[in-house]
Order: sequence, then C-alpha cells, then structure tokens
Amino acid sequence: MSLLTGPGREHLNGHKDETLHNDIVLVKPKKEVFVPLNNGSSTKVDVYVNEGDKVFVGTLLARRNDHFNVPIYSPVSGVVGAKKNMMHSVLKPQEHLIIEDDGKYEKVESFKPLDYTTATHEELVNFMMEAGIVGCGGAGFPSYLKYKKPENINTLIINAVECEPYITADYRFTKENLEDMLHGVRALLKMSTAPKAIIAIKKSKKELCEQLEEAVKNDSSISVFKTPDVYPMGWERTLVYEYCKKRYNRLPSEIGIIVNNVTTAIAFAQALKYGTGIVEKVVTFSGDGLNNPTNVRVPFGTKISEVVAQIGGYSSEDVLVIAGGPMMGRTIPTDEFVITNYTNAITILKNEKVESIECMRCGRCNDTCPAGLLPVRINNAEQAKDVDLMVKLNADQCIECGLCTYVCPSKIDVTEGVRRAKRVMALRKA
Amino acid sequence: MKFNFRVSPNYRSPLSTQRVMWEVTGAISVVLAFAVFYYFTELGTDYGVHALLMILTSLTVAIGTEVLWALFYKKNIVKHLNSSFPWVIALIFVGTMSINRPLYVSAISVFAGVFFGKLVFGGFGHNIFNPAGVGRAVAALSFSGFVTNKFADVVTGATANQVMQGLGWVITKPEAVDSFLNQFGGLTNLALGLYPASIGETSSVLLLIVGIYLSVRKIIDWKVPVTFIGSIFIFTYAIALFKGMGVWYPIFHVVSGGAMYAAVFMITDPVTTPTSSIGRILFAMGVAIFVVIIRIKANLPEGVVYGILFMNMLSPLLDQITDGWVYKEMKKYTIQIGTLFVAGLAVILLVASQISYNEPVVVTEPVVTVNLKGEPVVISEQTSPTALIVSETADGDVTTFVVNINGYAFQSDHSDDPKPNTLEVKINTATKVIVSVSYITFSDSKNIGDKTDSDVFLSQFVGISIVDDTASVDVVSSATITSHSVVKAVNAAIAAALD
Repeated sequence: MSLLTGPGREHLNGHKDETLHNDIVLVKPKKEVFVPLNNGSSTKVDVYVNEGDKVFVGTLLARRNDHFNVPIYSPVSGVVGAKKNMMHSVLKPQEHLIIEDDGKYEKVESFKPLDYTTATHEELVNFMMEAGIVGCGGAGFPSYLKYKKPENINTLIINAVECEPYITADYRFTKENLEDMLHGVRALLKMSTAPKAIIAIKKSKKELCEQLEEAVKNDSSISVFKTPDVYPMGWERTLVYEYCKKRYNRLPSEIGIIVNNVTTAIAFAQALKYGTGIVEKVVTFSGDGLNNPTNVRVPFGTKISEVVAQIGGYSSEDVLVIAGGPMMGRTIPTDEFVITNYTNAITILKNEKVESIECMRCGRCNDTCPAGLLPVRINNAEQAKDVDLMVKLNADQCIECGLCTYVCPSKIDVTEGVRRAKRVMALRKA
Repeated sequence: MKFNFRVSPNYRSPLSTQRVMWEVTGAISVVLAFAVFYYFTELGTDYGVHALLMILTSLTVAIGTEVLWALFYKKNIVKHLNSSFPWVIALIFVGTMSINRPLYVSAISVFAGVFFGKLVFGGFGHNIFNPAGVGRAVAALSFSGFVTNKFADVVTGATANQVMQGLGWVITKPEAVDSFLNQFGGLTNLALGLYPASIGETSSVLLLIVGIYLSVRKIIDWKVPVTFIGSIFIFTYAIALFKGMGVWYPIFHVVSGGAMYAAVFMITDPVTTPTSSIGRILFAMGVAIFVVIIRIKANLPEGVVYGILFMNMLSPLLDQITDGWVYKEMKKYTIQIGTLFVAGLAVILLVASQISYNEPVVVTEPVVTVNLKGEPVVISEQTSPTALIVSETADGDVTTFVVNINGYAFQSDHSDDPKPNTLEVKINTATKVIVSVSYITFSDSKNIGDKTDSDVFLSQFVGISIVDDTASVDVVSSATITSHSVVKAVNAAIAAALD
C-alpha cells in the first residue's frame, strides 16, 4: 500500500567506507573510567562497592533495580574512587562511579559460563539477565525481557542492518567474531522457541553477506535475509515489515517475531563461553570532524575526549559531537562524557551552518516517515498548539529517526517539531 | 575547541528547495525553448520574437514585483529571490498563454499572479492559489478579447477546445469526427501540439518526457500527473461510451486544452496542493472532475485553470480529511478515493446527459465575382472608397505602388479608431502583368475584413494583365466590402501604371 502512503524510507549516503575496511583499534583509558550509574532513563541503581575497594575486570559494581534487573560489571581493574556528577550521552548529567585504572586488566569470572545446549529455558533467561545483556543497537533495552515468556514465536530476526550513516561497529565486530555470533544466534534461537532465525543485513554489504551465507550454509535453521540499502531499515518495525509485510501494535512478538541486534548476540555468546558481561565496546568514531575515523575497542566508561586524542584528534575547531549516528544520536555540547555499555558510535561532524527557508508543503516528510505519520501536519498542529490534532496525528508514535528533517528540502528541523508535539502530548497525559 | 549543540538529526539530504525550483525552471525552460524554436521555424520570425518578448516581459514583471516587495520590507533582495522563486511563476504562466496575446496582458496578469496570488498571502509557501493559475485566470477573465493584430492568421484561429466548444463538446456523427480532427491534422498532430494552442502545450510528447524526467528525479510526485491524466481519460471515456463516441474523445480531452501542461507543471505545485500522498491523489482526481465538468457544461475552454484554482481552495480540507496515523487509515483512504471517483463519475455522466451535438451550420454563400475594372457594387453611401496612391517606386521593370484605401471598418465605423488599410501592389510595367498584391498594414475589423488578407483571395490578382478589361476575381464571402476595397486599390494602381 506504499502507493497511497509513500515509501516510508530513503536511501542515504552511508559514509561507511571511512571505517568499513580498517581493523578495530584497541584504546585504553588514560587513568580512570567513569561508570555511569544509570541504565537508559532509570537511575535506580544499587551500588555494591565502596570507595577504596579493589576491583577487577568483571567485578559486579552495581545493579539497576527497579522493574528491570541489569547488573553493571567493572570495565577495568583498579581502585574504586568517588562518585561524580557529569554529562552523560542521554544529554543529562548523571552520577558516575570513578574507578582508578591500574592498567593491568586483571580479570575475574563474573559468573559461571553456561552450555546453552543443555541449559533449560529458565536458566538461559536468568543467565542473560545476570550477564547484563542489553540491546546493543543503541537503546540499551534489557534483552532478557524479550525471551521471558515467548509464545507462538515463529522467527528470530538478528538485526545486522546497521542503517545509520557512518556506523560500522556492528559490521566490524561481526566480521571479527563470526564464530561467537553463530554461537549466540543458536542460543537466542533456543530461548526464543522459534523454529528459524534470519540474519538481516543490507545487501550492499556484499563481503559480509557472502561470509555469513558461507557460515550458515550447513545450518538449516539459520538463513541470511538481505535488505535494501535504505534508512531506517534497521528499525524493528521497518525490518519486520520488510521481512513479512506485517505491522504490529507494540511489540513484534504480537506477530510471532523477536528481534535482537547482532552485537547483542555476540555479547551473549561471549558471556556464555567466557563468563564475562559487557565490559568493553566496539565503537565507531567517524565523521568529517575527525582526522582518522576509526572503529575502536574500548572499556566502557572511557571518556570521548581520551579516545579522540588517541586516534588522531579533531579535524576542526568547531564541531558537533554526537552520541550515536548523525540521524538519531544526540548532540552533546562537550566531549567530557563516556562510552556506555550500549554505545555503538560517536559521530563528530564539522559544524556547518544550515539555513532553512519556508516550508513549501511538498510532503516529502510525510512520504518518507517510516512510522506512517504526517510530520509536517504534526509541526503545523504543534505551532497552532492544537493538542487534539496532535493526538489525532498520533505524534507519540514518532521514534525520532530523523528522516523528516533529513529529507526536508527547505532544511527545517521537522523532527524537533514532532519532538515538541510529543512532549506536549506527554504533559497532557500526565 | 568549540562544541556546539544542535537538535538531531544532523544529517541532511543534498536536495534543497532551491534545487527543486531550479530543476523545475530547467524543465519549463526546455518546454518554452522548444515552443520558441517551433514558432521561429514554422511560423516565422515575428512569432518567435513575440514569444521571446512574452517570456521576457513576464520574467521582468515577476522578478521586478518581488524586488520591489523586498525593498519595501527591507529584505535582502538576493536572499528573498532565492527563497521565493518568482521566475518559476513567470515561466509557468507564459506556458499557459497563446502567442497572439499582447505583451501588456502578460505583464498585468503576471503581476496579478505574483502580487495577489502569492505575496499578499505571505509569500512563498503561504499562498492558497497557484500564482501562475491566478495570472492565467486574470488574462482569461479580463482580457479575453485582447489579441494582437500582428498575428491574424492560423495561430489566432480557434483553439481545438474553442472549436469543440462550438460543437457542444460532443460529436455523435462519425463523419463529423474526422472533419473535426482533420482541422488539427488528426489526433497525432494534436498530441504533437502543432496546432493553435497555448505556448506551453506546443508538444505533448515533450511534456511527457519532461514529466517523466521530473518524476524520476523525484522533483514531482508521479502519482499526481498520472492520477490527473488517468482520471480525465476514464471520465471522458465514460462520456464517450455513454454518447456513442470512440476512443478519440478521451484522447482529445487529454491532449488538448493544456491538460498535459497542467499535469506536469501546475497541479504538481507543492505549495498549493495537499501534503500527504493520499491528499495529492484526491486533489488530482478532483481537478480532473472539475476540468471535465467545466469543459463540457460551463463550456469554458479554460477548464484546467479553473479546476486547479477551485481545488486549491480545497487543499486545506483535503489535508484535514486525510489526517491521522497513515498505517491505520488505509481503509478510510480507499473509501475516500472510491467515493470521489464514483461521485465524480456520476456527476460527470449526469452533466453529459445534458449536452448534445451542435451540428455546425454550413452557410453556402453564392460566389460573387466582380469585374476587376468594374465599379464596386454600391452597398451603402460609404462604400465607394477612394484609393490614394501613397508612393510609387520603380525597380527595373517592376513598379511598386503603395495604396491607401478605406476598408469596412472605416466605412461602417465599426471600430473605435478606424484607419485605412495600406496595400502594396507590384506591377511589371514591361509585361503589363500584376506581380503581387499584399497588405502592408491592416486596420480593418477583426474577423470580418481580415478574411481578405489571405493567399486564396490575394493570389487571384497575380498574373492578371492590366490591359485585360474582362479580368475578374472572386470576392471573399462575408468580407464583401473589404474585398471591393482591395479591388479598388488594385484598380488605382493599374490606372497609375498605365498612365
């Protein structure tokens, strides 16, 4: 029915080549890491260590303890320092726990490894929770919740689409950990109770497509699903629609599908095999604001400024530092914030002036909105402060993918208008 | 080091509104350039020059109006123009005009389009009506009879839609169909645009190519022209079936009256059409319905322009009724399209049941022959004009006489400012034969005396011996008096030559 609605997606210049072909570079913090004591929007975190305690890589530091249960393991070995309030990639100051890095990286087993082939479903779900596996697509949603009570699941989709421009972390991480990935996919497949798993990847990533196809050719339950090179192909709803031409209301499990990021699968496999939680991350540092765009492997809690300094510095005096990709990532007005355990990219762009002119009502934003919304109408409603119209237009369904601003030929911040509408609606609900 | 804050996303498509407008400018320029080329090569320099002047006048007035506006509001002129694009209006407007319109009509209409159609609403992005359409409507309503005298021939002849209008928008006699279409060289020729029409629709084929180009470049939404042309075709095909006409009828509707031109350049105007995909489809179908009804019932050949302007008013309403969460509204949208289609078809067929074929009355007037040397028949006291030889220049054997003679307008006082006609008569004094007779200036009544300014009439004189007392020519029916005045002028020249 895209005839009546417009395509709901758009090919973007991916700028992937900047980092696609180079090996991952190992980066270490200078002398301390700052472990964010939050998980997503939640700051309800119990801390289990005290200032002066000696910790190792993998020592349980804290645990998110509200309706979700997410442990946080130490990314370095060293001594626990004070707590510090500092800027976080959610664009709000958050409490961070300082750990003085002794540079030795002495490890402890955070938990016992587990053989997924013999483990029960319950054991696997508990293990996943205990390992602190969060969605590595950028949102950091605790993964175990998806597998708690799977019902009528027919397909597990492993999301290796990585549709945001500049980001190649998933690509490099997958390429260098194919074995672990398959291990993780098989474990997730067992937990999902689905008969088959598909690995979704853009068909433009030919090399990895071939490697994946080669890797799964003897496994009839796993196959590779090639998607077009469009944005936001990696968004759960767009991906699910591309795969089975079905839409759902809240969660893909309504139509028998579980989606997990490919890096999550690898992290899970490494937890199963080696008994380690997520303590380091592969992060793409890219964009024209950097001298040497690079994929780095770095303990989480490391400051952006330290990573940038180690990979060759900024190429401009006037930059935008974006936590994430340029489409969905938040601009942070400082580089004094840290990599979290779900960060996959830091994009640094030269600050170029954008001049907007009047909206010409061309409707490109409406045609490309992957959520099926009418962004220009939502903007009009927001300007008129017409809350009823915002409700009618379902502004709260916006995922802020940024495509409406991207396509706007008049260079208007359309997404921001929708964001304001969402806030107004949220306020009214509250 | 400076770290900035800016709301996400921080990634922009290379496509800008400026580029969209420049691509449209390029596309319309190609269409107009072809028309100018056609006028130059097929109709003569006068036409080509006039077409160019029309384009230039429109551009000057449109840009001038906006520059004054910018000056008045103390805006940066370059910046204002680069976010207002007046030249697009001017070019699209010129495409809707026919070549025989005086320059001041273009000037006034473009001003109306830019100023009243756009600027007073708040400028680019805020106007309700298609500015070029407003300009065209002003030209049609206020200056319908205003045509230049310069082009008193085929091009000023009735457009295909005007002829069709005379026939009542339906031809049920099969033999009449052929003769109707043959006036324009058949359907193929109509499609090629080589017949009296507006400048922009000089070639439907070219419009098709340009339309496809703009669609592929995603400058226009292909669904809009396709829905529009498709709807016109389906609706008029229904009329054809209803009235027992062939498939030529819908094709005629599609290729004539600026439908193709509007499909590519006017109903695709983003500012004045709905913002949603479904809204634009409803819009295009709505314009199609209005075009067909206005053509066949209101009997206005300008159906396309009025159809667009009317639907422009409904754009906000279309936006309103298509509001919602698109994925959940599919059923609503399908019903909306279906309802509009069925309602449109019903109204059109109802209207079509009211139209009938006006068989053209062929008046067969007796051929009147006048003796060249004889005195004109006295029709009234004023019909004995005096010929005045203005100049006489010999070039070898051929002597050229310039003769002033009062035509019908002068004699009957049908014109506000009657002037004599001036003819040029060339006579070979050696062989004593008339070489040519032609008008230098024609000041006679339009559509009456100008019938004598034709090859058929004037070439009769060629070859006549000036000493032959029995020579005669056939006068032009319904232009008898002017015919006689020409005879009189030739006679005066003959007398002078024999002197």
